[in-house]
Amino acid sequence: MQADAPLLEARDIVVTFGSFRAVDGASLSIGKGEIIGLIGPNGAGKSTFFNCLAGDRQPASGSIWLRGHDVTRATPEEHARLGLARSWQVPAVFDDLSVRDNVMVGAFLRHSHRRDAAAAADQVIEFTGLGPMAEARSSSLGTPARKRLEIARALATEPEILLLDEALAGLTPTEVRIAIELVRRIHAKGITLVIVEHVMEVILSLADRAVVFHQGKVIAQGLPRDVVQDPGVIEAYLGRSLRRKAVRA
Amino acid sequence: MSAQIAARALTRGVGNLVLGVLALAALLCWPLLVDNVFYQRIGALVMLSALSASAWNLVGGYAGQISIGHVLFFGCGAYASLLGYTWFEWAPMVGAPVGIALSLLLATIVGTPTLRLKGHYFSMATIALAELARIIVVNSPVLGGGVGVSGPALPRSMADLSFISPVPYYYIFGGVLAVLLLFTWQMSRSRMGYYLRAIRGQERAARSLGVPAPRFKLYALLVSAGFTSLAGSLYATMVGFVDPDSGFGILLSVKMVIAAALGGAGTLFGPLVGAALLVPLEEFTNAMFGGGGTGITYVVYGAIIVFISRFAPGGLAEILTRLQAWRARRAG
Ligand SMILES: Nc1ncnc2c1ncn2[C@@H]1O[C@H](COP(=O)(O)OP(=O)(O)OP(=O)(O)O)[C@@H](O)[C@H]1O
Ligand SMILES: [Mg+2]
Repeated sequence: MQADAPLLEARDIVVTFGSFRAVDGASLSIGKGEIIGLIGPNGAGKSTFFNCLAGDRQPASGSIWLRGHDVTRATPEEHARLGLARSWQVPAVFDDLSVRDNVMVGAFLRHSHRRDAAAAADQVIEFTGLGPMAEARSSSLGTPARKRLEIARALATEPEILLLDEALAGLTPTEVRIAIELVRRIHAKGITLVIVEHVMEVILSLADRAVVFHQGKVIAQGLPRDVVQDPGVIEAYLGRSLRRKAVRA
Repeated sequence: MSAQIAARALTRGVGNLVLGVLALAALLCWPLLVDNVFYQRIGALVMLSALSASAWNLVGGYAGQISIGHVLFFGCGAYASLLGYTWFEWAPMVGAPVGIALSLLLATIVGTPTLRLKGHYFSMATIALAELARIIVVNSPVLGGGVGVSGPALPRSMADLSFISPVPYYYIFGGVLAVLLLFTWQMSRSRMGYYLRAIRGQERAARSLGVPAPRFKLYALLVSAGFTSLAGSLYATMVGFVDPDSGFGILLSVKMVIAAALGGAGTLFGPLVGAALLVPLEEFTNAMFGGGGTGITYVVYGAIIVFISRFAPGGLAEILTRLQAWRARRAG
């Protein structure tokens, strides 16, 4: 693998649900160390695209390359082994396990012995600030803690690239600030990040590059502050809200 | 504050230990305390039922893959033991490894394709295969047909493990159960235990964390099938007779599920507790309403299913946890 090859690359991805093309020829190339902000209106296909990148859904056509390997048809567990981790838009923590045990599941990927996995999990728990609730059953957690647990669990797999699907949605402004700080510290460990977020403030303050999704296609990408002023992007968002207003009226 | 918590945890740990030792002592002494063959026989049947329910629990409880055709493996074990005797005059337990091998083969055949799929394909495939096995046996005179096969009428040697008293069986079954529970306990603390519980909770999320879900579900099924088959061989050794209903009857599958669910599926001792309640209940209703009163058995099972699914999907283990939480809250 050459040093300048992209860490993760998706070429011309198409995902169809019946006759509907949820992802319609999207391409994205991610270099090591980047923080990419993936934005776009509701239903643009961001999560569906994410699922393809993580091996959770196979595209109808197109190809995906992770660290030089063709992973288009690979299973999610093979993606994880190759160093890709993700969070879910709708938190998917293991409800009847404790916070620590949730993180342990991730830690077992690189540490097959219980004691090593536990030590690795404890480090991640401390890093993410989940220490005080480590013994709590995760079903008892509120949304912010669940989102944080998802990140912790993913980090425990010791990934090179982390995909966060609206990991900051539904948080209060204070919680968002804490989460942004956590994302920065994750990046400082050398982990490449792709984050889907609706809150522009988050994208503007975190991302090196913003990628705009609309109707299953990448319609713009570039520096976040340039992208948010792009007329096409404004139209994609505004067009929708105008249409919604028209429907209501 | 944290010292208080630690102290409480310690008291609870010691309490659990004392409770465990008392329970173990009671289990060890039970057949000697009651010198009534009826109760001793119930004791042996409890152990056997706990063994097959605990085996089911590995795949149905820990991994959350509900098999309703586990009798398939039980029947393989029972038939392998008694056909080994009928055809080759083997001691019944000599056929046990053959039954286990056959069960592992069938488990691989049923599990490999269906455990990759989402939904209820696995449950349906197990029940279909179990019924198919029953129908094949009924229609094969060489397998005993509808009449069944018998073991040695009189013990030829110790190897036949043929005893008049149920007490030796109680200890044999209990010993095998102890081995299975020890394995289960070890497994639940290891990577496999974590992976199985993760799969049960959120399979997609588990896979995204690197859990090879299909493979681990198959491992759980293989161990489960092996022990269930062994339970079948042990049953055949004690009873000395098996026919399509007692070997491959659907009610047996249901019993494994109910015993585990009643005590608490996915818990170590749940199936044992469930069996300790279910078997006596069944034996007493049978004794009261006669052997033909199996209709009552169905009614009782139906009622238990309704009760568990309505009030406590986690079984008695869940009720206990809730009770403890409630007491802790009252204590302040
Ligand atoms: N399993 C599915 N079956 C059918 N349609 C689906 C499925 N999953 C997603 N879709 C549709 O595909 C489109 C893209 O959905 P997706 O969840 O990827 O959008 P998104 O950009 O993540 O939106 P949001 O910001 O609301 O999370 C939507 O119109 C959605 O209704
Ligand atoms: Mg989404």
